[in-house]
Amino acid sequence: MNTETKAFEPKIAAFLCNWCSYAGADLAGVGRFQYPATIRTIRVPCSGRINPLYLLKAMANGADGVLVSGCHPGDCHYMSGNYVARRKFALIDSLLKHVGLEEGRVSFSWVSAAEGVRFAEVVKGVTERVTALGPNKGVFKVEDGGGTNE
Amino acid sequence: MNSIIEDIRATARQLLTDGKVDVVIGYEKGSLPLSATPCFVRSPQDTDKLIWDETCENNLAAFSTLTQGKKAIIAKGCDSRALVVLLQENQLVRDDLYIIGVSCQGVINKKKIEAETGEILEASINPGKITVKGMECDKEFTFAELKDASCQTCRYPNPVLEDIHIGGLIEVAQQAAVFADVTEMENKTDAERQAYFKEQMSKCIRCYACRNACPLCYCKECFVDCNSPKWLTGGVDSAENLFFQAGRVLHLAGRCVECGACSRACPQDVDIRALNRKMSKDVFNMYHHESGISVEGSGALNEYSADDPEAFLVKE
Amino acid sequence: MKISKEKFGQAFDALAADYQIIAPVSEAGGVNYLAVKSFSEVKQDYLNSKLPPKSFLFPQHEKLLTYKKEGKDVTVKTELQVEKSVLFGIRPCDAKAMLLLDKVFKNDEYRDPYYYERRDNSVVIGQACNKISPSCFCSSMGISPASSEGSDIFLIDLGDSYQVEVITEKGKALMAGLQELSELSADEQALVDTIKSAQTSSKVDVATITAKLDKMFDSPFWDSLHEKCLSCNACTFSCPTCHCFDISEEVHKNEGSRVRTWDGCMAPLFTLHGSGHNPRDKKKARWRQRMMHKFNYFVHNNGDIACVGCGRCIKSCPVNLDIRQVIDGVNNAELVVD
Repeated sequence: MNTETKAFEPKIAAFLCNWCSYAGADLAGVGRFQYPATIRTIRVPCSGRINPLYLLKAMANGADGVLVSGCHPGDCHYMSGNYVARRKFALIDSLLKHVGLEEGRVSFSWVSAAEGVRFAEVVKGVTERVTALGPNKGVFKVEDGGGTNE
Repeated sequence: MNSIIEDIRATARQLLTDGKVDVVIGYEKGSLPLSATPCFVRSPQDTDKLIWDETCENNLAAFSTLTQGKKAIIAKGCDSRALVVLLQENQLVRDDLYIIGVSCQGVINKKKIEAETGEILEASINPGKITVKGMECDKEFTFAELKDASCQTCRYPNPVLEDIHIGGLIEVAQQAAVFADVTEMENKTDAERQAYFKEQMSKCIRCYACRNACPLCYCKECFVDCNSPKWLTGGVDSAENLFFQAGRVLHLAGRCVECGACSRACPQDVDIRALNRKMSKDVFNMYHHESGISVEGSGALNEYSADDPEAFLVKE
Repeated sequence: MKISKEKFGQAFDALAADYQIIAPVSEAGGVNYLAVKSFSEVKQDYLNSKLPPKSFLFPQHEKLLTYKKEGKDVTVKTELQVEKSVLFGIRPCDAKAMLLLDKVFKNDEYRDPYYYERRDNSVVIGQACNKISPSCFCSSMGISPASSEGSDIFLIDLGDSYQVEVITEKGKALMAGLQELSELSADEQALVDTIKSAQTSSKVDVATITAKLDKMFDSPFWDSLHEKCLSCNACTFSCPTCHCFDISEEVHKNEGSRVRTWDGCMAPLFTLHGSGHNPRDKKKARWRQRMMHKFNYFVHNNGDIACVGCGRCIKSCPVNLDIRQVIDGVNNAELVVD
């Protein structure tokens, strides 16, 4: 039995908009800008597509952190998707903090298709913060198959 | 009070006699002390059942989308705001709706009484005081002591949209929107808040009374009932209950009119309001928006501005 | 015979070593049945619990089995873990309700192991109601505030002692641990007599309701009854006899579990078929179903009305839809003659 405990590597669900953030992530890959392999990318057409339930479900399924990223306001491929998303994200962020989810578990960013370096920086920063928080403490995490109260 | 009841009955009678509406949705006396219950009056003779007092706690707008035909609805301030949001969202046809507006001083929260007197045996409401005979003891309360939490922070006691107004208007106690209850919660530590909501959510039995009592929860398929994708597992642990409540509150963000029907409907006394109030505070402070004030407006999340705050972004 | 609460408490605490004891405990907002380790945790003076104790026999969420696929092999495991239990302080309404649940889960045709393993391994210590709520109507439902039907041991609270009655063999076995029983004083006997003869002040007439409902399926009575109902499950979840459930699968990759959860006929999607057809998508049909099931179908199938008059549905309903008023309405409804 390995007595050395493996350092905690968080699993971060990353919802990236197709036109900017996903392209930015791709650029990071192409340009070989290193970032921790902690994110699991989910491509969405636009940050406005993000349903708050995606974040909750990701955490319920055990994700240690969530990153949501879209185009910079004003640059949305669909014109106003990220403007609408901006309000949604502000409220989701606020509510999650209010119910006691630790600051830094859920992160939001605007990353453009040209910002490959920046994408790597964002992921590094998010990973650092989530690693410091430790594994998902279960505010929304559901045990396999759900459970009952004591 | 009495003249208001007479006027409500007379208005209802006239509307039904003239055939202007098919049904008047109002309140009648309930079967338990200090209870009113929603009532659907279809013939002029039955309008004598209609009452109006501090026990009329249900938000009747919740029935507006489900009732066919032309309907008149008794609407308090908060109820009228809910009707406005429903009109904004095209869930109601304005011509099918006749809003009988009544200004409201607030409703009684019976749980506050029962906490002191035990189950209520008999009670009477008199000007300024409520006299209660309970299983544990008898007590006299002032209305202020029993006012429901939502009514204590109410800034819209007068209906914002109506076809007729019964009774007088009420002066608004607080002009500025104050969210002292939310600030108090915000000032606690993360751990304290987490513990508080975990405790509240462990009481939830997922009966969905809150969702069904809410006039703005009208989705034909609620996310809790969705099987693909399956958002909820059916577990009733506090984590999943929080998932449900947080999901519902986020779906109501920018739409909730703070009527308090959800909290009052809950058979388990879960503090549902706490989450909705937080959203209302944020929407007010960040977007200067209050839901359901005018039919020409729209929900806070249906609008946007180039200057919306983005303090939530990562620092990188 | 009676036993002092002090002596009873000692026996109770000793039992806690071998049994899981479920007893009424005070919580913010009311009393609920929870696992306790000592008699000192038990709430003494209260009307009834907010939620019925049915969740100890029929949990709100239960994993029936788990499965795992490895290559071509599938291993299936049942998750049932049953502890010997004592259900303490169960009121006559809730004890009778368990007998009604037995008819569903534990009969000649169907034996649900998840239910009957728990049922067979639990002893019910019932307790009479010393105070009666105005929304209780058990006296009209074939029992009374001091009925011992469904209890294995039955207690009457005399203040600083309990009157103890052994009802079944199961109860007798548990009683062996109770020492120092004594005779009741004349005053105590008088108190017992008063409690035993007490009736609920609220009454309904169910003498002919089943027969009446036989003829009422198409009655216009149902047309307006349902309108104020919110279609939530507050009444069904707080009812000690309601037992409808849903079974679903929770699967992640190669493993999963089959889960049973409470469901209720008041919810619009309860009867949604896989095809998309829903025979009870109208509230009218659902309210008719509630009354018919409790007061007619259950009588025909199982010989008893599936309502014990505990009044929880009345207190928990957000719109004050009172089942007593519905019963009166059924009784007074005019029968439409073809």
